[in-house]
Amino acid sequence: MLMLAAFAAPAAAQSVRPPGNAVNLDDGIEDGPSNALGDVSDTDIWDNFRGGNPKDILAPTREGQMMTTTGQQWRVIREKFIRKYLGWAPLVVIGLLAVFYLIRGPMKIAGGRSGKTIPRFNLSARVAHWFMAGVFIILGLTGLIILLGRVVIAPYLGLEANSVLTSAAMQGHNLFGPIFIFALIWLFIKFVRGNFFQWVDLKWIFKLGGFFGGHVSSRQFNFGEKSWFWMVILGGIVISVTGVIMLFPGLVDDIRWLQLSTILHALGAVALIAVAFGHIYVGTIGMEGSLDSMLKGEVDENWAKEHHDLWYEEVTGKSAKEEDAT
Amino acid sequence: MSTTTEIAVEKFLQHTDSEAASFFEACVHCGQCAEACHFHLATGDPRQTPINKLRPMERAYKRDKAPFSTLKKMLGLAPKPVTEAELKEWEELVYDSCNMCGRCTLACPMGIDIAGTIRKMREGYAAAGLVPEGLKSAAEYVKKTTSPMGVTIKALKAQIAHQEKATGIKIEVDKKGADYMCTFSSMEIMGYPEVLGAYAKLFKRAGLSWTISSVAYEATNVGVQIGSAPMAKEILERVVDAAEALEVKHVISPECGHAYGAIRWAGPNLMGRQFNFEVVHIIEVLDKLRREGKIPAGKKDSRRMTLHDPCQIIRRGGLLKEPRKLLDESCDDFVEMKGAGLTNFCCGGGGGVSANPRAEELKTKAFSLKAEQLNGVENLEAVVVPCGNCRSVFEDGLDAYEMDLEIIGLSELVAETLAEPDEKQG
Amino acid sequence: MSFLNLVEGPLFSFAAAVFLFGALWRLIGIIRIGRKKDISPPKASAAAGFIRGNLRHFIPRGIFAKRTMVHIVGGYGFHLGLFVLVFFGAYHIDFLNERILGFSWTAMPRWAFLITSAIAFAGLIMLWVRRISDPVMRLISNKDDHIGSWLTFLVMLSGCFAMEQAHDSLRATHMLLVDIWLVYFPFSRLMHGFTFILSRGNSGATYGRKGIDL
Repeated sequence: MLMLAAFAAPAAAQSVRPPGNAVNLDDGIEDGPSNALGDVSDTDIWDNFRGGNPKDILAPTREGQMMTTTGQQWRVIREKFIRKYLGWAPLVVIGLLAVFYLIRGPMKIAGGRSGKTIPRFNLSARVAHWFMAGVFIILGLTGLIILLGRVVIAPYLGLEANSVLTSAAMQGHNLFGPIFIFALIWLFIKFVRGNFFQWVDLKWIFKLGGFFGGHVSSRQFNFGEKSWFWMVILGGIVISVTGVIMLFPGLVDDIRWLQLSTILHALGAVALIAVAFGHIYVGTIGMEGSLDSMLKGEVDENWAKEHHDLWYEEVTGKSAKEEDAT
Repeated sequence: MSTTTEIAVEKFLQHTDSEAASFFEACVHCGQCAEACHFHLATGDPRQTPINKLRPMERAYKRDKAPFSTLKKMLGLAPKPVTEAELKEWEELVYDSCNMCGRCTLACPMGIDIAGTIRKMREGYAAAGLVPEGLKSAAEYVKKTTSPMGVTIKALKAQIAHQEKATGIKIEVDKKGADYMCTFSSMEIMGYPEVLGAYAKLFKRAGLSWTISSVAYEATNVGVQIGSAPMAKEILERVVDAAEALEVKHVISPECGHAYGAIRWAGPNLMGRQFNFEVVHIIEVLDKLRREGKIPAGKKDSRRMTLHDPCQIIRRGGLLKEPRKLLDESCDDFVEMKGAGLTNFCCGGGGGVSANPRAEELKTKAFSLKAEQLNGVENLEAVVVPCGNCRSVFEDGLDAYEMDLEIIGLSELVAETLAEPDEKQG
Repeated sequence: MSFLNLVEGPLFSFAAAVFLFGALWRLIGIIRIGRKKDISPPKASAAAGFIRGNLRHFIPRGIFAKRTMVHIVGGYGFHLGLFVLVFFGAYHIDFLNERILGFSWTAMPRWAFLITSAIAFAGLIMLWVRRISDPVMRLISNKDDHIGSWLTFLVMLSGCFAMEQAHDSLRATHMLLVDIWLVYFPFSRLMHGFTFILSRGNSGATYGRKGIDL
């Protein structure tokens, strides 16, 4: 964090300048070269500081080395790729979802709601989910502010406002981070059963999940849901580990771990945020009857027959294909 | 001419003393009480949440009596007034789905005595006449015969005669100066009259004199169940006057639920004075006599037995250890159910529910929790139920759930396992 | 006067006064309603029951604990965490020292502060999620419950944002929310922080008098 703060100010400038508090060699205190750059080329000076080949990014830090070899590469990755392009990923996903919604519309329950419900998620599962959702949203928002504040907020609200928001966001993000770890473990315990991949998922993939028409069979969770679950768990583990490293930098003694952590953390987080929009879409407006499962814990029987027919049959003992004889 | 609502609300406010007020002010709407209530557990209906049953009374308090209520009313921030429709809607929650068993009181982290406050709330309902038919007709019977089941002195004397014949011991009626005057519930007199014989045997063995009053033999107090203090007082006065007229030293409250609380705790407050006699529960008496060696235990009952803790005697009466000690001494195979003792499940029929035919279905549903508790004991043969009302509920409930268990009263068991006069103790 | 000085100075004094007098007025108002003296012969001391009732209810009862685990874990986590944060967080100790008490004590180290606040937040969020998803709590909750819990959450969140005191505006926001919270307290459900003593004590006394250890 301190490193980021130190880098923040000169980050915008791509060329190398002496820091603002450097001594002006022209004030005549002692005789010295008026041209501080000297006769040696820039590259050589910096090579001396680095003590090695800048292309050797995997070389460990040597004693007496004044600059890391990897720092520059890391800075370039952050500035050129992460800060510039990563922020677009969630927007791209939202755009795709909007297009999908306009073309395909919300997926209604075939045959309408039956009015009869079956239980799908019990109270403790729902509490675990919404707890994670709340923590995730807080972390996502504060994380995005930290990552993109300079490019998204500062140009419009000014540097001072950006500083306030980013400072607040950083404190919030640091504090809620450990809660995420607890939420992740709780979520895993509650939802892992039923989320292991099965053969029926292959068929789901081939039929593109029924998103473009047709019916696909599923057990309690379909391939899409299972993928999301494992993405959250595995991505969450990556984010958690890298987050802890960044929160307590003293845990590692090689700076490259910290650099790697910032990259992986950002990648993992943005990936999850992007796919989360898809999850929220399907769970709310994208598919009729889905929200009930997590809000009330019960789903309409026709919804179950259409989207999770094998699960419906397991739970009720009735066939998903016959019409209700009432 | 006051409306029903006005009468009810006035009573609500009158009976919201600082204790009830502190309860209304402390509830944080956590819902843990729901986890303890057998009606909620059996039906899954959130409306059965115990604190929800108090809502009209709470609202009336918060609107008209709570600190800052005037200020809040001026700003339009006070709760809306209670309507007649709400009162009527809540009648079932107040009478059909509450036994005043006190399990919710136990579970509440703020120590709110919901059960006791329901009792106070019923005052409003009773004054407004919003009482279930079953309880109304019980009150009518009490007016005519002192018994909610219409048991007359003639019927009682017939039962006494049978028991005298069966035991060979005389049972005195209206004996002046006796050590103990015993009251009984109508359910015991008509349904389980062996208890009269059991008392005779036990008191004879202990060498104590006892009597039954011909004008005050009924222990139950429908006034307490309906929630009408004036009615409760009237019923109680009969017993107190008869006991003082007979100059007995103690009045025994029988194996019944609310009867003990009615005379022991509510009694002096309802009548505004102390009594000239001591009030004891039969279980207390049996335990005392057993400790004094006056009714030693003989051959033990060998059946696999468990104890049902009637709510008003154990959880809200304090007699946790006494029945257990007596059973340990009288039984070979006494096993406790899971959750027995203070956290025991109510049978579902107390607090006036069993006298209310409208609540029949709900009561049977609520018994499922009890049935589950009983089924948790393997190879159970019998259950000791020291309350006449619980016994009748058990009979219906076990029948409904097709369970085959013998139901025994505590006095009868102690009398049956009494050591013969020449038998060695233990 | 800057906004920060306003919310930490006169506005805070006003809010604290409303808090103190409001809470006292309400508590005394409840007690003054009074209750009839119980003349039935007691089996044990009501006063002892008052104290015992207060202490006993801190311990969840085994048989109910399973079903109410979220309340116990979340509730205790939140309340204990918040108590520790308020009285052992360095900034709070400084504030109390400067503004009210005139003395201070040792603060928590940074890592303890982070863990405690994580526990406090986690507890509050768990309880909040429970309140909006459990059918029982949904039925019996009202606006007061939601405003109270959101306000407390915002006070905590703004405090979290203001850590390391990088910006006056963040600290001022936190203080403003604290002032609002203090004023809201005596008129709302938040008073349970004091009224629990009365309710536990009253039922403890009533039952204790009968020799019942509830």
